[in-house]
Amino acid sequence: MTMRLFYEALWLQKAGNSEEEYEDAFWPKPRLSGEPIQVVSVAVADGATDSSFSGIWARQLVRAYSHGNIDPANIKASLSKIQARWARTVNRKPLPWYAEEKLRKGAFSTLLGVTLRDEHHGGSSGTWEALAVGDTCLAHVRGDELVATFPLSSSTQFNNTPFLLCSNPNSNTRLDVEAQFSSGAWETGDSFYLMTDAFAAWFFREVEEGAKPWQILRDVEIDPSVPFRPWIEELRRKNAIRNDDVTLYRIDVS
Amino acid sequence: MAYTAEISRNNPSCFLFLIDQSGSMADNFPGEVPKKKADGVADAINKLLQNLVIRCAKEEGVRDYFYVGVIGYGATVGPSFSGSLAGKELVAVSEIANSPARIEERVKKVDDGAGGLVDQKVKFPIWFEPTANGGTPMCQALGNAKSILQKWMGQHPNSFPSVVIHITDGESTDGDPSQAMNEVKSLSSSDGNVLLFNLHISNNPNAQSTAFPDSSASLPDQYARLLFEGASLLTPTMRNVAGEHGFSLSDGAKCFVLNADLVLVIQALDIGTRASNLR
Repeated sequence: MTMRLFYEALWLQKAGNSEEEYEDAFWPKPRLSGEPIQVVSVAVADGATDSSFSGIWARQLVRAYSHGNIDPANIKASLSKIQARWARTVNRKPLPWYAEEKLRKGAFSTLLGVTLRDEHHGGSSGTWEALAVGDTCLAHVRGDELVATFPLSSSTQFNNTPFLLCSNPNSNTRLDVEAQFSSGAWETGDSFYLMTDAFAAWFFREVEEGAKPWQILRDVEIDPSVPFRPWIEELRRKNAIRNDDVTLYRIDVS
Repeated sequence: MAYTAEISRNNPSCFLFLIDQSGSMADNFPGEVPKKKADGVADAINKLLQNLVIRCAKEEGVRDYFYVGVIGYGATVGPSFSGSLAGKELVAVSEIANSPARIEERVKKVDDGAGGLVDQKVKFPIWFEPTANGGTPMCQALGNAKSILQKWMGQHPNSFPSVVIHITDGESTDGDPSQAMNEVKSLSSSDGNVLLFNLHISNNPNAQSTAFPDSSASLPDQYARLLFEGASLLTPTMRNVAGEHGFSLSDGAKCFVLNADLVLVIQALDIGTRASNLR
C-alpha cells in the first residue's frame, strides 16, 4: 500500500479584477481523489502585483518545482533555465516604453513548494519537506491540532515588501539567506494547507483569536453549504481578509 | 485608520504636480557644472511621471490607479503638459503613458549584479519642458490646486487622499502661501487629508541636500523653512518604506525635501505587493 492523497486548489482573484488578472499560481492542476502515490510535489506561488508578467513567472515556478526542476540545495542554478524560458515568453513582441522598462526590472513571485514522500511505510506515515521564498504559507494539521506552520507563524509577520524570486538573476543575490527550508513527518489523516498571503494572514489571525480555522478549511467546497468563492467574498465584505488574489491548496493524506 | 484606502482601478487616487515656472528658475544651481533650476525641475517631474507610469504598468497596459495633473505657475497659471496632453487638467495615468511629447534616450548606471556598474541605455519620456518666465504666483497656483482637488475628492469621496507634489525655488511673489497650503491640506476624503509634498529647489550656497526632516533647524533660509512648515507629515506607511530605503525618520518627518529626490513617494504608494529586492 502507498499513501493516498486527496488534493485540490481553490482560488479567487482579487475583487475588481478579471479572472485573467489572477496572478497566483499552483501545480498540480487536476484534483486528486484518493489515488495511491509514492511521492508528490505541490507548489503555490504569488506573482507580485507590482511587476509585469509576474503571473507567467509564478506559473513557471510552480510547474518547475512540481516537476522536480528546482533543487532546494541550489535554487539559483535551478532558476536559470526558468528565467530563460520566462524571457523567451515575454520578449515575443515589441513593447511600449513603460513595459520595456518594467520588463528590465523583471517579474517577482513567492514560491512555496512541499514534497510528500511515502518512504516505504506502507502508506501510513512518511516525510515532508518544504521550501519557501516569500510569504506564501504552509499549515500542517493533525487531528484537531495545528502541528506546524512555515515559513511564517503569525499575522504580524506579513508586510507588503517581502523578498521574492525574480526572473532577473541580478535581483536574486540575497536568495541564499532568504530561502527557507523545513521538514517533518506526516501520518494518515493529516492535512496540509498551502495559502497565499492574504488568506494565510486571515488563518493566523483566527488562530491567534483562539479559533481553529482548519475546521472550516477541511470542509470548504466539499460541504455544499460552504462553497469557497462566496465564503471568501463574505470575508472580504466583513474586512476579515485583505482584498488580494486568494489561493488555498488543500492536501489530505489518507 | 487614515491612509489605508485601497488604490485600484475602481478606487483611483489623484496626483497633482504644482510646478514653479517663474523667471528665477532660469538661475543656475551652485556647482561646477552649470545647470538651470528649471532644467532640474523638468528632470524631476519627468522622472516622477515616468516612475508613476511604470508602477501602474502591467503586461496588458497601464492600469488607471491614478489621475494626474500638472499645473505650472509663472507668467501664467494653468495646465502645463507638453505635446498632445497640452491644456488638459487631469488625465488617467494610461493616457500619460501613451502620450509623452517625445522620448529621449539617456544612459543610466546600473548594478551589474557582481558589485560593479554598467552603462545602460534607457528611454526617458518627456511630458514637461523647462520654462522660466514671469513672477511666482504661488498662492494663485495653490488656489488652483485646491479647486481641482475639491472637485476630484467630491467625485471620489473614499479614495486614497490626493497627493500634491509642489516643486519650487520658494520665492512667492503674490504673498505668503502658508494659508493657501493649509487650505489644500484641509481637503479630505474618508481616508484622510490631502498630502502636500514640497520639493524645494535652492541655489542658496548653504543649502545641503535634505530629505524628510522633522525640524527646520538646518534649513538655509526662510523660503525653505516656509515650505517645510507648509508640508504634510509623512504617513506611517511612507515612513516604513523610507526606512526600507535606509532613512531613519521620526514620527515628525515631513513631506519636504531640499535639492533631493522624491521618487521614494511613488514607491511608497501601496498598489500591491512590492518585492524588497526590486531594484
